[in-house]
Amino acid sequence: MQMAQPDSSGLAEVLDRVLDKGVVVDVWARVSLVGIEILTVEARVVAASVDTFLHYAEEIAKIEQAELTAGAEAAPEA
Amino acid sequence: MSENLYTYGIIKQQDLELDVEGVAGADRIYTVDYKTLSAVVSEIDTTDPERTDEDVEAHNTVLQEVLEYDGGHTVVPMSFGMAFKNARTLKGVLRGARRALRSTLNDIEGTVELGVKILAPADDAVPQDDVQATVTNQLADLSINETENDLFTDRLIVNKSYLVDRDKRDAFDSAIDDVEAEHDDLTIQYTGPWPPYNFVDIHIGAEQQQGG
Repeated sequence: MQMAQPDSSGLAEVLDRVLDKGVVVDVWARVSLVGIEILTVEARVVAASVDTFLHYAEEIAKIEQAELTAGAEAAPEA
Repeated sequence: MSENLYTYGIIKQQDLELDVEGVAGADRIYTVDYKTLSAVVSEIDTTDPERTDEDVEAHNTVLQEVLEYDGGHTVVPMSFGMAFKNARTLKGVLRGARRALRSTLNDIEGTVELGVKILAPADDAVPQDDVQATVTNQLADLSINETENDLFTDRLIVNKSYLVDRDKRDAFDSAIDDVEAEHDDLTIQYTGPWPPYNFVDIHIGAEQQQGG
Protein backbone atom coordinates (compact mmCIF):
# COMPACT_ATOMS: atom_id res chain seq x y z
CA MET A 1 0.00 0.00 0.00
CA GLN A 2 1.22 3.46 -0.85
CA MET A 3 1.73 5.67 2.14
CA ALA A 4 -0.07 8.96 2.62
CA GLN A 5 1.87 11.89 1.22
CA PRO A 6 1.35 15.42 2.47
CA ASP A 7 0.11 17.97 -0.01
CA SER A 8 1.73 21.39 -0.26
CA SER A 9 -0.43 22.98 -2.93
CA GLY A 10 -3.38 24.43 -1.01
CA LEU A 11 -3.42 28.23 -1.22
CA ALA A 12 -5.18 28.66 2.14
CA GLU A 13 -2.49 26.61 3.87
CA VAL A 14 0.24 28.60 2.14
CA LEU A 15 -1.35 31.96 3.00
CA ASP A 16 -1.80 30.95 6.66
CA ARG A 17 1.90 30.32 6.96
CA VAL A 18 3.62 32.79 4.65
CA LEU A 19 1.59 35.83 5.75
CA ASP A 20 1.23 35.13 9.47
CA LYS A 21 4.42 33.31 10.42
CA GLY A 22 8.14 33.46 9.84
CA VAL A 23 10.82 36.01 10.60
CA VAL A 24 9.64 39.62 10.53
CA VAL A 25 12.09 42.49 10.03
CA ASP A 26 10.74 46.00 10.60
CA VAL A 27 10.86 48.25 7.58
CA TRP A 28 13.38 50.65 9.12
CA ALA A 29 15.87 47.86 9.64
CA ARG A 30 15.40 46.82 6.01
CA VAL A 31 15.77 50.17 4.28
CA SER A 32 17.87 52.41 6.47
CA LEU A 33 21.60 52.63 6.63
CA VAL A 34 21.78 55.99 8.32
CA GLY A 35 20.53 56.73 11.81
CA ILE A 36 19.80 53.22 12.99
CA GLU A 37 22.35 51.96 15.39
CA ILE A 38 20.55 49.40 17.50
CA LEU A 39 18.74 46.33 16.26
CA THR A 40 16.32 44.69 18.66
CA VAL A 41 15.94 40.95 18.34
CA GLU A 42 13.15 39.04 20.03
CA ALA A 43 13.28 35.34 19.39
CA ARG A 44 11.21 32.44 20.62
CA VAL A 45 11.84 29.01 19.23
CA VAL A 46 9.14 26.47 19.84
CA ALA A 47 11.33 23.41 19.81
CA ALA A 48 11.81 20.31 21.93
CA SER A 49 9.46 20.90 24.84
CA VAL A 50 7.62 23.62 26.68
CA ASP A 51 10.37 23.70 29.32
CA THR A 52 13.05 24.18 26.72
CA PHE A 53 10.95 26.79 25.06
CA LEU A 54 10.66 28.87 28.23
CA HIS A 55 14.30 28.46 29.09
CA TYR A 56 15.20 29.29 25.56
CA ALA A 57 13.05 32.37 25.46
CA GLU A 58 14.83 33.69 28.53
CA GLU A 59 18.20 32.96 27.07
CA ILE A 60 17.82 34.82 23.84
CA ALA A 61 14.89 37.19 24.20
CA LYS A 62 17.11 40.07 24.99
CA ILE A 63 18.14 43.11 23.08
CA GLU A 64 21.20 42.49 21.03
CA GLN A 65 23.19 45.59 20.34
CA ALA A 66 24.38 45.85 16.82
CA GLU A 67 26.44 48.67 15.53
CA LEU A 68 24.87 48.40 12.16
CA THR A 69 27.14 50.89 10.46
CA ALA A 70 30.26 49.15 11.68
CA GLY A 71 28.80 45.76 10.74
CA ALA A 72 27.94 46.85 7.25
CA GLU A 73 31.38 48.32 6.74
CA ALA A 74 33.01 45.11 7.91
CA ALA A 75 30.98 43.13 5.41
CA PRO A 76 32.35 43.08 1.88
CA GLU A 77 30.30 44.86 -0.75
CA ALA A 78 28.33 42.50 -2.94
CA MET B 1 19.12 48.65 -11.84
CA SER B 2 17.60 48.38 -8.38
CA GLU B 3 19.75 46.90 -5.64
CA ASN B 4 16.76 45.80 -3.56
CA LEU B 5 16.81 42.20 -2.39
CA TYR B 6 13.77 40.09 -1.57
CA THR B 7 14.59 37.58 1.20
CA TYR B 8 12.95 34.14 1.50
CA GLY B 9 14.79 32.56 4.40
CA ILE B 10 18.07 31.91 6.16
CA ILE B 11 20.21 28.78 5.90
CA LYS B 12 23.61 27.75 7.20
CA GLN B 13 26.23 29.25 4.90
CA GLN B 14 26.07 27.68 1.48
CA ASP B 15 26.23 28.94 -2.11
CA LEU B 16 22.96 27.99 -3.67
CA GLU B 17 21.34 28.87 -6.98
CA LEU B 18 17.84 27.78 -7.90
CA ASP B 19 16.02 27.79 -11.21
CA VAL B 20 12.54 28.51 -9.92
CA GLU B 21 10.49 31.64 -10.44
CA GLY B 22 10.68 33.92 -7.43
CA VAL B 23 8.61 36.80 -6.11
CA ALA B 24 7.82 39.50 -8.72
CA GLY B 25 8.89 37.21 -11.56
CA ALA B 26 12.53 36.95 -10.43
CA ASP B 27 14.36 34.30 -12.44
CA ARG B 28 17.46 33.97 -10.31
CA ILE B 29 17.44 32.78 -6.72
CA TYR B 30 20.82 32.99 -4.98
CA THR B 31 22.46 33.54 -1.62
CA VAL B 32 24.01 36.49 0.23
CA ASP B 33 26.36 35.50 3.04
CA TYR B 34 27.16 36.91 6.44
CA LYS B 35 29.82 34.66 8.00
CA THR B 36 28.14 31.30 8.81
CA LEU B 37 24.71 32.40 7.56
CA SER B 38 23.29 32.68 4.04
CA ALA B 39 20.13 34.56 3.09
CA VAL B 40 18.22 33.13 0.12
CA VAL B 41 17.32 36.13 -2.06
CA SER B 42 16.27 37.40 -5.45
CA GLU B 43 16.40 40.87 -6.98
CA ILE B 44 13.31 43.09 -6.79
CA ASP B 45 12.55 46.73 -7.59
CA THR B 46 10.81 47.68 -4.35
CA THR B 47 11.22 47.34 -0.57
CA ASP B 48 7.46 47.03 -0.14
CA PRO B 49 6.25 44.22 -2.40
CA GLU B 50 2.52 43.89 -2.94
CA ARG B 51 0.84 40.81 -1.47
CA THR B 52 -0.60 38.87 -4.36
CA ASP B 53 -1.61 35.21 -4.19
CA GLU B 54 0.88 34.52 -6.96
CA ASP B 55 3.80 36.07 -5.11
CA VAL B 56 2.88 34.49 -1.78
CA GLU B 57 2.92 31.13 -3.55
CA ALA B 58 6.23 31.99 -5.23
CA HIS B 59 7.71 32.78 -1.78
CA ASN B 60 6.60 29.39 -0.50
CA THR B 61 7.69 27.52 -3.66
CA VAL B 62 11.23 28.89 -3.34
CA LEU B 63 11.38 27.82 0.32
CA GLN B 64 10.11 24.34 -0.50
CA GLU B 65 12.79 24.03 -3.18
CA VAL B 66 15.40 25.01 -0.59
CA LEU B 67 13.90 22.51 1.84
CA GLU B 68 14.37 19.68 -0.68
CA TYR B 69 17.59 20.95 -2.29
CA ASP B 70 20.53 18.57 -2.38
CA GLY B 71 19.14 15.99 0.03
CA GLY B 72 17.37 18.49 2.27
CA HIS B 73 18.18 21.81 3.87
CA THR B 74 17.18 23.38 7.14
CA VAL B 75 15.73 26.82 6.55
CA VAL B 76 14.48 29.58 8.84
CA PRO B 77 11.57 31.02 6.83
CA MET B 78 10.99 34.75 6.49
CA SER B 79 7.50 36.15 6.49
CA PHE B 80 6.21 37.52 3.15
CA GLY B 81 7.49 40.91 2.03
CA MET B 82 10.92 41.07 3.66
CA ALA B 83 12.69 43.09 0.97
CA PHE B 84 15.89 44.96 1.84
CA LYS B 85 17.33 48.14 0.38
CA ASN B 86 20.53 46.36 -0.65
CA ALA B 87 23.00 43.64 0.33
CA ARG B 88 24.55 45.96 2.89
CA THR B 89 21.39 46.48 4.92
CA LEU B 90 20.65 42.75 4.69
CA LYS B 91 24.10 41.86 6.01
CA GLY B 92 23.69 44.41 8.80
CA VAL B 93 20.49 42.69 9.91
CA LEU B 94 22.06 39.21 9.64
CA ARG B 95 24.88 40.46 11.79
CA GLY B 96 22.58 42.00 14.40
CA ALA B 97 20.40 38.89 14.61
CA ARG B 98 23.16 36.31 14.12
CA ARG B 99 22.87 34.71 17.57
CA ALA B 100 19.13 34.21 17.34
CA LEU B 101 19.38 32.95 13.76
CA ARG B 102 22.17 30.48 14.53
CA SER B 103 20.38 29.15 17.61
CA THR B 104 17.19 28.76 15.64
CA LEU B 105 18.95 26.92 12.82
CA ASN B 106 20.48 24.54 15.36
CA ASP B 107 17.13 23.94 17.03
CA ILE B 108 15.28 23.12 13.83
CA GLU B 109 18.16 21.23 12.16
CA GLY B 110 16.90 18.29 10.10
CA THR B 111 13.22 18.99 10.65
CA VAL B 112 10.19 19.85 8.56
CA GLU B 113 6.73 21.06 9.49
CA LEU B 114 3.67 18.94 8.68
CA GLY B 115 0.08 20.12 8.98
CA VAL B 116 -2.80 17.90 10.06
CA LYS B 117 -6.46 18.88 10.01
CA ILE B 118 -9.12 16.29 10.84
CA LEU B 119 -12.77 17.02 10.16
CA ALA B 120 -15.68 15.01 11.56
CA PRO B 121 -18.73 14.40 9.32
CA ALA B 122 -21.38 17.14 9.22
CA ASP B 123 -24.20 15.04 10.68
CA ASP B 124 -22.05 13.44 13.33
CA ALA B 125 -23.84 12.88 16.63
CA VAL B 126 -21.02 10.89 18.21
CA PRO B 127 -18.45 12.85 20.19
CA GLN B 128 -15.00 12.40 18.67
CA ASP B 129 -13.05 12.98 21.89
CA ASP B 130 -11.57 9.48 21.96
CA VAL B 131 -10.42 9.61 18.37
CA GLN B 132 -8.96 13.04 18.96
CA ALA B 133 -6.98 11.87 21.97
CA THR B 134 -5.72 8.69 20.31
CA VAL B 135 -4.61 10.40 17.12
CA THR B 136 -2.95 13.39 18.75
CA ASN B 137 -1.09 11.19 21.24
CA GLN B 138 0.19 9.03 18.42
CA LEU B 139 1.34 11.99 16.32
CA ALA B 140 2.87 13.70 19.34
CA ASP B 141 5.07 10.62 19.87
CA LEU B 142 6.39 10.89 16.31
CA SER B 143 7.11 14.62 16.42
CA ILE B 144 9.53 16.91 18.21
CA ASN B 145 6.89 19.49 18.95
CA GLU B 146 3.48 20.70 17.89
CA THR B 147 1.44 23.87 17.81
CA GLU B 148 -2.31 23.98 18.27
CA ASN B 149 -4.15 26.03 15.69
CA ASP B 150 -7.65 27.40 15.93
CA LEU B 151 -10.54 24.88 15.93
CA PHE B 152 -12.71 27.24 13.94
CA THR B 153 -15.66 24.86 13.69
CA ASP B 154 -16.93 22.13 16.04
CA ARG B 155 -16.41 19.63 13.25
CA LEU B 156 -12.69 20.30 13.22
CA ILE B 157 -11.39 17.87 15.85
CA VAL B 158 -7.66 18.29 15.11
CA ASN B 159 -5.84 21.32 13.67
CA LYS B 160 -2.15 21.12 14.47
CA SER B 161 1.24 21.73 12.97
CA TYR B 162 3.96 19.24 13.82
CA LEU B 163 7.72 19.68 13.85
CA VAL B 164 9.01 16.35 12.56
CA ASP B 165 12.50 15.00 12.13
CA ARG B 166 13.17 14.00 8.51
CA ASP B 167 14.04 10.52 9.79
CA LYS B 168 10.51 10.18 11.17
CA ARG B 169 8.74 11.20 7.98
CA ASP B 170 7.88 7.65 6.89
CA ALA B 171 6.55 6.77 10.32
CA PHE B 172 4.48 9.95 10.37
CA ASP B 173 3.09 9.27 6.86
CA SER B 174 2.10 5.77 7.86
CA ALA B 175 0.46 6.97 11.09
CA ILE B 176 -1.72 9.28 8.95
CA ASP B 177 -2.47 6.25 6.75
CA ASP B 178 -3.61 4.28 9.76
CA VAL B 179 -5.97 7.03 10.86
CA GLU B 180 -7.46 7.17 7.36
CA ALA B 181 -7.83 3.40 7.26
CA GLU B 182 -9.46 3.18 10.68
CA HIS B 183 -11.81 6.14 10.35
CA ASP B 184 -13.65 6.20 7.05
CA ASP B 185 -15.95 8.93 8.28
CA LEU B 186 -13.21 11.48 8.97
CA THR B 187 -11.79 13.89 6.42
CA ILE B 188 -8.05 14.28 6.85
CA GLN B 189 -6.05 17.10 5.33
CA TYR B 190 -2.36 16.34 5.55
CA THR B 191 -0.08 19.14 4.30
CA GLY B 192 3.60 19.90 3.85
CA PRO B 193 6.43 19.44 4.12
CA TRP B 194 6.75 23.10 5.08
CA PRO B 195 9.71 25.02 6.37
CA PRO B 196 9.04 25.29 10.14
CA TYR B 197 6.90 28.45 9.86
CA ASN B 198 4.95 27.66 13.02
CA PHE B 199 8.05 26.94 15.10
CA VAL B 200 10.07 30.06 14.42
CA ASP B 201 9.13 33.37 15.98
CA ILE B 202 11.72 36.09 15.44
CA HIS B 203 11.04 39.79 15.29
CA ILE B 204 13.86 42.13 14.33
CA GLY B 205 13.26 45.80 14.99
CA ALA B 206 15.31 48.94 14.86
CA GLU B 207 15.73 51.72 17.36
CA GLN B 208 17.29 55.03 16.68
CA GLN B 209 19.98 55.75 19.19
CA GLN B 210 19.44 58.81 21.39
CA GLY B 211 21.24 61.81 19.98
CA GLY B 212 22.57 59.64 17.18
